[in-house]
Amino acid sequence: MRARGGSKRNNGFRALRIVLFSGILLTLALIFLVSTLGTQRFGFVHKLVFEATAPVQSVFAGAAGYVNVAREEYLALFNVREENRRLWKALQESRDAANRNREALATNTRLRKLLEFKESTDLPMLAARIVGKDPSLWFRTVVVDRGSSDGVVKGMPVVDGDGVVGQVFSVSPNYSKVLLAIAPSSAIDVLLQKSRVRGILKGTGSLTYKLDYVLKTVDVQEGDHVVTAGYGGLFPTGMPVGVVSQVVRKRRGMFLDIEVTPTVDFLTLEDLLIIEREMEFTR
Amino acid sequence: MVTVAAYTLLGLFLAVLQTTVLMINPMWIGAPDLYYILVAYLAYRMDILRGLIILFPVSWTMDVLSGVVLGTYPAICFIAFVLLKFTAVKMPVRESLYQVPFIGVSYLVVSKFVYLILSFMEPGVLAPWSWPAVLLRVFLLVVLAFPLFRLFEMVNRRLQGSLIPFKMLRVQGGNRYRQEMEKK
Repeated sequence: MRARGGSKRNNGFRALRIVLFSGILLTLALIFLVSTLGTQRFGFVHKLVFEATAPVQSVFAGAAGYVNVAREEYLALFNVREENRRLWKALQESRDAANRNREALATNTRLRKLLEFKESTDLPMLAARIVGKDPSLWFRTVVVDRGSSDGVVKGMPVVDGDGVVGQVFSVSPNYSKVLLAIAPSSAIDVLLQKSRVRGILKGTGSLTYKLDYVLKTVDVQEGDHVVTAGYGGLFPTGMPVGVVSQVVRKRRGMFLDIEVTPTVDFLTLEDLLIIEREMEFTR
Repeated sequence: MVTVAAYTLLGLFLAVLQTTVLMINPMWIGAPDLYYILVAYLAYRMDILRGLIILFPVSWTMDVLSGVVLGTYPAICFIAFVLLKFTAVKMPVRESLYQVPFIGVSYLVVSKFVYLILSFMEPGVLAPWSWPAVLLRVFLLVVLAFPLFRLFEMVNRRLQGSLIPFKMLRVQGGNRYRQEMEKK
């Protein structure tokens, strides 16, 4: 009985406590509401709540921004990949175009030089392109894409914009083999341009010529220009052949040892001109 | 017949390759003599008749595309063929271990021999002999011999298992039943 009485009392206290607590809370809320709505003043509590919630807001906002940026970057990756592919393709195309332009420029320069050379002389000339090169270590020839059907005959001089290249060695209807002037079996009648002294220019198999039969009494200097003599009617007179690069006076013998550097760059030969001349031995 | 035609075409292709793509400039010494590897292959793997039939147009083509003394390449090819064939039959060079280095040695020997003959017969026509350039060619030859031999072997296998069974097209005379019985 006693215990039941104590329990009832406890329940009554608890209910009273709840009512009191709720009343206080409601009162405070009412006071807060009335004071806020009435005065419209941003009071201490507001500031306290503000200070407490704003950092949390800030953290959430930052996180949300980060997530947003990450999402955008992730989505942008697809576009970037696509753009990257497109730009690489564009770059490749630009490089190809640049290469083509450079090649075209080089070809243009080379052909312009040939054209200038062709226009500087009245001789009929035929443009030819090298299609094959002699792979042997002993001979120096090239194959060009002009033959007897174009009027090419054995012995015709072959030149480029810089000077003498060689002469036609053998001919088929559409192709010819050209013996380069640097071949050991090549011999060209030449003149020293300054002194007008004649000599025979022979190939050595390397990138130099040897000028034979020039007497020791002749004044030959390094840098003197060597041109074709035109004797025998094979090469026209005055075509550039090379420049004297070394003169050796030996104690014995009548002649000078003269080394001549070709005016033609034999390492970059591509387009040539065949001078159409009537060859005596082919008549 | 098909084998001869195939190897002849292959030889012509090698000759063209050597005189165009592999020759960077007219003075270039780094172009390997691919035709010589074919000569060696023919000497080691083919009978004399078929080898010579293939060599004839190939060496002729090289002669046309290169050089000023006609007959230089046929001379090189036939001398090399005979030398390599002889050594393959008579000497332990038959072992494939020695074959590749021997191609280089034979190239050196044959080149020097033909050079001496030419400089005697046509003085003043040849460029001076250059050991560094020749040794470079020998090196390239030895390096490229193995892959090219494999290529030639592959072509040979392809020809053996050809899509067109040429042997079946051949006319066979006599009593085939009896011939087969006799074989058994």
